[in-house]
Amino acid sequence: MTAEVQKYTLAQVEALELAPATEHENLEGWVPALASEDELRLALEKALDYRGDVTLTLKSGERIEAFIFNRQTGATLADSWVAYFTPKADDKRKVSYAEIARIEFTGKDRAAGKHWEDWVKKYNERKAAGETNIALAPDALE
Amino acid sequence: MAIPISQMATVASYVLKKRLTGTKRYPLVLMLEPLFRCSLACAGCGKVQYPPHILKKQLTPEECFAAVDECGAPMVSIPGGEPLLHPQIVEIVNGLVARKKYVYLCTNALELKKRLPEFTPSKYLTFSVHLDGQREHHDFSVCREGGYDIAVAGIQEAVQRGFRVTTNATFFDGTDPNSVRAFFDEVMSMGVEGIVLSPGYSYDKAPDQNRFLGRARVRRLFRGILSNRKPTWKFNMSPLFLEFLMGDRNYECTPWGMPAYNIFGWQKPCYLLQEGYAESYKELLATTNWSEYGVASGNPKCANCMVSCGYETTAVIDGFGSVKGFLAMVRGNFSKYRDPHALKLLSESQPAQHGKLVQIDSPVLEETRA
Repeated sequence: MTAEVQKYTLAQVEALELAPATEHENLEGWVPALASEDELRLALEKALDYRGDVTLTLKSGERIEAFIFNRQTGATLADSWVAYFTPKADDKRKVSYAEIARIEFTGKDRAAGKHWEDWVKKYNERKAAGETNIALAPDALE
Repeated sequence: MAIPISQMATVASYVLKKRLTGTKRYPLVLMLEPLFRCSLACAGCGKVQYPPHILKKQLTPEECFAAVDECGAPMVSIPGGEPLLHPQIVEIVNGLVARKKYVYLCTNALELKKRLPEFTPSKYLTFSVHLDGQREHHDFSVCREGGYDIAVAGIQEAVQRGFRVTTNATFFDGTDPNSVRAFFDEVMSMGVEGIVLSPGYSYDKAPDQNRFLGRARVRRLFRGILSNRKPTWKFNMSPLFLEFLMGDRNYECTPWGMPAYNIFGWQKPCYLLQEGYAESYKELLATTNWSEYGVASGNPKCANCMVSCGYETTAVIDGFGSVKGFLAMVRGNFSKYRDPHALKLLSESQPAQHGKLVQIDSPVLEETRA
């Protein structure tokens, strides 16, 4: 056995070792200010990480509902882009950072909520009410 | 030893060929995700939280074959989502088997028993059934009562029909090592070829953010689970990776070794982190700054990771890349890993509890969620 495994008591390991959790940012409904290039870049990074759709308004006035899944950042906004899927088309699309005027986090954040503790609470309530075959179901495909 | 000789020979010759040609980075297993849609909503999973229009998308068989042909890995794991929900999954599997790829179709087995007649047994095809522990633990893990019984029925039918079958478990904080050992007895008695296991990864999109294991806890847990093995237990994994989990080996991550391909492209940098996509495996290799990943990099997203998709490749390359590694692998296949201290760990184990559940009278509930 390695020294590392043996050197800790259970109490020490308990105290030392639990991976830190991620603090979810509540971004649903957020409309970031895009006064500067840095604000636009930061907002698009958050959009990339967001598990819901956003609505992009382009400088041309076009509005795009998009799930952003990729980006390439260059030295200028013109050579930076995001890649996205829209609900209405099958193909991957790209738009330059330079064309984006506004971002709205309009879609439901699919990674928010659904905590384990909520499942336990719901389970106990439904069981106490006499239900059987209790289960969490995936979100409907609408 | 659970892995067939022919599969080991294929992997060994592949690794040796790469070494002889001086190839520094190459894939060992392609993680092919044909869709993200799933029939379960497990609390520890961060893979399926997407808007409906993304969940409805899926790779075509041609896209799957192109990815497999491009990267050239000898093994293909098909996770998801639930692959059996893909309407062309049989065509995809048959195409990969025709390419002589060793395919691990990862399934929650809710549909397995019904779908088995559509598949043909082959040494290239293994059903890797998600089973996280004994009945109560698995059902609670996948947030569905009755899930264990359905999965076991699928396993038994697949074994009876002559398919290769493994179980695939992910363990999180609160796992009771004694229960896991009893679980190993149960699954081996079902006639499966071997067991696959991994500590969970702290997906930042997973609903349950309170139970991810740090590295010292992982070693302690797996020390208890994997020491003093019973002769009936078989693992469909590198023994050196299991030694890594037990704390006997230090490995660095090989993030390019099990690349993930899905509807978005080739995932950067690995199956677990999601920092963008490349259009090809070649582009993935060329445009990812690999020094930013792995424990040694100091990247906090990698700090607690000991997951198989990053470290088993390292172990396999170690095992087939040198005489010393090969001998250690052979020894590992036959060792029982006797360890009195690990027995003490088992006796000290106190299952965690989230609150007593109605359907479980005693003892208190342990979580082994994926």
